[in-house]
Amino acid sequence: MPDWSTVLDFVGLYLIPGLVTGSIYALGAIGVSLLFGILRFAHFAHGDLMTLGAYLALSVVTGFGWPALAAVPLAAAGTAIIAVGLDRAFYRPFRQRPTIISVIASFGVMLMIRSAVQLIWGVQSLEYKSGIEQPLVFFDQLRIQERHIWIVGATGLLVLALHLLLTRSRIGRAMRAVSDEPDLARVTGISTERVIQFTWLIGGALAATSGVFIGIDSHIDSYMGWNLLLPVFAAAILGGIGQPIGAAAGGLALGLIEELSTYPWIGDNPLVSPDYKTGLAFTIMVALLIWRPTGLLRGRQF
Amino acid sequence: MSAPLLEASKLVGGYGGMDILNGVDIAVGSTEIVVIVGPNGAGKSTAMKAIVGLIPLKSGHVAFAGEDITGAAPEHLTARGIAYVPQERNVFRTLTVQENLAMGAYLRRDDIGPVTAQIYELFPALKDKRRQRAGELSGGQRQMVAIGRALMNEPRLLLLDEPTVGLSPKVIEEIFERIQAINGAGVGILMVEQNARAALTIAHRGYVLATGRNRFTDSAEALLANRDVAEAFLGGAG
Amino acid sequence: MDTGMILYLLSLATMTGLYAILTLGLNLQWGFAGMFNAGIAGFFAIGAYATSILTTPPAEDRFGGFDLPIPLGLAAGVLLSAVLGYAIARICLRLKSDYLAIATIGIAEILRLILRNEAWMTGGNRGIAGIPRPFEDMEQPWGELCFLLLVAGIVVVLYVAIERAWHSPWGRVMRAIRENEEAAEAAGKDVVAFRAHVFSLGAAVMGLAGGLMAHYLKFIGPDATEPILTTFLAWVMLIAGGSGNNRGAVLGAGVIWVIWSGTELLTQRLPPDWQTRSSYIRVFLIGLLLQIVLQRFSHGLLPERPPRPPESDSG
Repeated sequence: MPDWSTVLDFVGLYLIPGLVTGSIYALGAIGVSLLFGILRFAHFAHGDLMTLGAYLALSVVTGFGWPALAAVPLAAAGTAIIAVGLDRAFYRPFRQRPTIISVIASFGVMLMIRSAVQLIWGVQSLEYKSGIEQPLVFFDQLRIQERHIWIVGATGLLVLALHLLLTRSRIGRAMRAVSDEPDLARVTGISTERVIQFTWLIGGALAATSGVFIGIDSHIDSYMGWNLLLPVFAAAILGGIGQPIGAAAGGLALGLIEELSTYPWIGDNPLVSPDYKTGLAFTIMVALLIWRPTGLLRGRQF
Repeated sequence: MSAPLLEASKLVGGYGGMDILNGVDIAVGSTEIVVIVGPNGAGKSTAMKAIVGLIPLKSGHVAFAGEDITGAAPEHLTARGIAYVPQERNVFRTLTVQENLAMGAYLRRDDIGPVTAQIYELFPALKDKRRQRAGELSGGQRQMVAIGRALMNEPRLLLLDEPTVGLSPKVIEEIFERIQAINGAGVGILMVEQNARAALTIAHRGYVLATGRNRFTDSAEALLANRDVAEAFLGGAG
Repeated sequence: MDTGMILYLLSLATMTGLYAILTLGLNLQWGFAGMFNAGIAGFFAIGAYATSILTTPPAEDRFGGFDLPIPLGLAAGVLLSAVLGYAIARICLRLKSDYLAIATIGIAEILRLILRNEAWMTGGNRGIAGIPRPFEDMEQPWGELCFLLLVAGIVVVLYVAIERAWHSPWGRVMRAIRENEEAAEAAGKDVVAFRAHVFSLGAAVMGLAGGLMAHYLKFIGPDATEPILTTFLAWVMLIAGGSGNNRGAVLGAGVIWVIWSGTELLTQRLPPDWQTRSSYIRVFLIGLLLQIVLQRFSHGLLPERPPRPPESDSG
């Protein structure tokens, strides 16, 4: 019977951070999964949309003095609109071409967003606010940062909202229809361009939110989104292509696996060295691609 | 007889520069069931796709209710009252039966309750399965969803591309029966079919195509009775 | 012409040559085998590190430093890259191109992590310095010139060899596979093996480029070659050169590198606080250049088949 203090340590130092990382991955993965399903290509610039959102929020924070969380809606809206613009300029010309060309284009967009961010905001690592926050304490021993509660809670609500959007709203059903059979969707009169634009809005907004959450949890720098790109892809693949809620679950699972892997399960040393923690998601993803590309929840095979 | 609802004349066209159609005429009256039959490669599906605007026409005209719709995109035809059910990929697999039907009515802004009820009356098997994903249904049930989806907009003309491919004889019979019922309710039907004999049994008229041209055009009974037609073109289940 | 200018031009030409080798390797994978490799930096790094570990003089704080001759180091890099390339290809060949891109980037990133963390072997973040360069004992600029001629010679040899291979019976099989994979398979060709061989060859060439680069710069580190940028530049070069053929690869390397380097030269004239920013502007412009080239000139890039009519109605 483990003693309470070990359990609470585990929860506070590994489980909760795992949920936080998982939430951040989940929000990014939903966007990637939606884009994969509706536009049918791997959007390499998605990580840098997260970076963009984080920096937009930074401007709001430094400009208006609001707390970072309050800046999320503005950052999300800004990124959403920019995402639609990027699609119009760089991806729409290739709608009828093989999807690999859109992938190549997104590679370029990735570098363009990153360099623009570096140009405008610089390359130093920044934070939304300085100073150390005192954690909330439960049961005398469980220490949880307040911001972690916000991140996990907000993510839960957003995922729920997305689920309702996809199942109860007209545009949501249209998105699922286009994701299933784009030609048939056209025949029924659905405007696929409208659906695509809406998908970019949602994907951009969620990516921005994820970026701000990273910034709230640790810090902001121009490579933050790129560092998350592969785990986010891994999560989307894990949950099954074209299944955004699955992607959210995949993100949560990956975040937990990543944090829990550094727990000293056997003996005194972490099971996986923290240096390689980020490599864990890549490894899982590569393994998935090779042995089970439809993901754990049986999504579409591309 | 009044002017046909659908009139396609001298269609020439095909895929990527190759002409599969070499001058095809098809006409459908507003109360008829018309069937297009013929051997593989004859251009049956191509003709239907050309009418619906899915493949480009080099020459030829298509008119619906007197209006020229040559080359119009499929989504525009849906709004005008033409419904098209492709041979493959004709349901939304991860959407439920109910949602598939709702998609069929996407362009409608009114209450779709009544018409949905009508569809379930037409296909009672679907009513129990209405919350099931279309991809999980059997072949025959999926076909019913596909046709039901097309009918949600209350079209005047229904185009079906090989509706019975891959189905068992019992299910084929059921589908053909339903098609007759749909026609009875006042919808004109144009159907491409491999099961030529069975299809002609429920049709009013038929077109036999070969190498992209009209070979025989006559009433369904006449075609079935014609020995040349029967031997050369109607071999197969019947 | 002053020495500075001569040295600059020599370095421009040399870097162009090195990137031409890299792009030729990429073209093997893309133009021949139709495989999208987004992890170019990985093979590049293997070639660079292998030769560095083998040819540097002994060092206390890390494994390696065997002081072996340069050709041996390069050969080792080439071999390792080829083996890794073959392994990756056999495992990942079944994947759709988007997935292959993600997988190759993933593998390149894992490799970078290993290079950064296993300092006992690779020197970690500090990297490996003091790598010998061919002809460095000669007087400048003649030493540099000789190295350039070496690189140029390699480019020519590779170019000729690959062109020959393309027109050989083996090359015809590759072309058939690229145009219509199912038909080639039906004809009894082992498509997977062919493609894996080509991918492996491409990887080997990339490893050679990496090794040569390490000797040229005399230093490598996990981020010294800016992996994403290297991968990206190689792709831009291939695409800008047009239609994914060998001449385009070399041409593209030249044009893009001149633009890249030339803009660096221009920005050096700017006041200091603008200089760091200028590198971001340059990356942005290259990204934009890629979009323009992709939208205007990419039609020869892929053999795009017209839509096939369905089986029941073909003819």
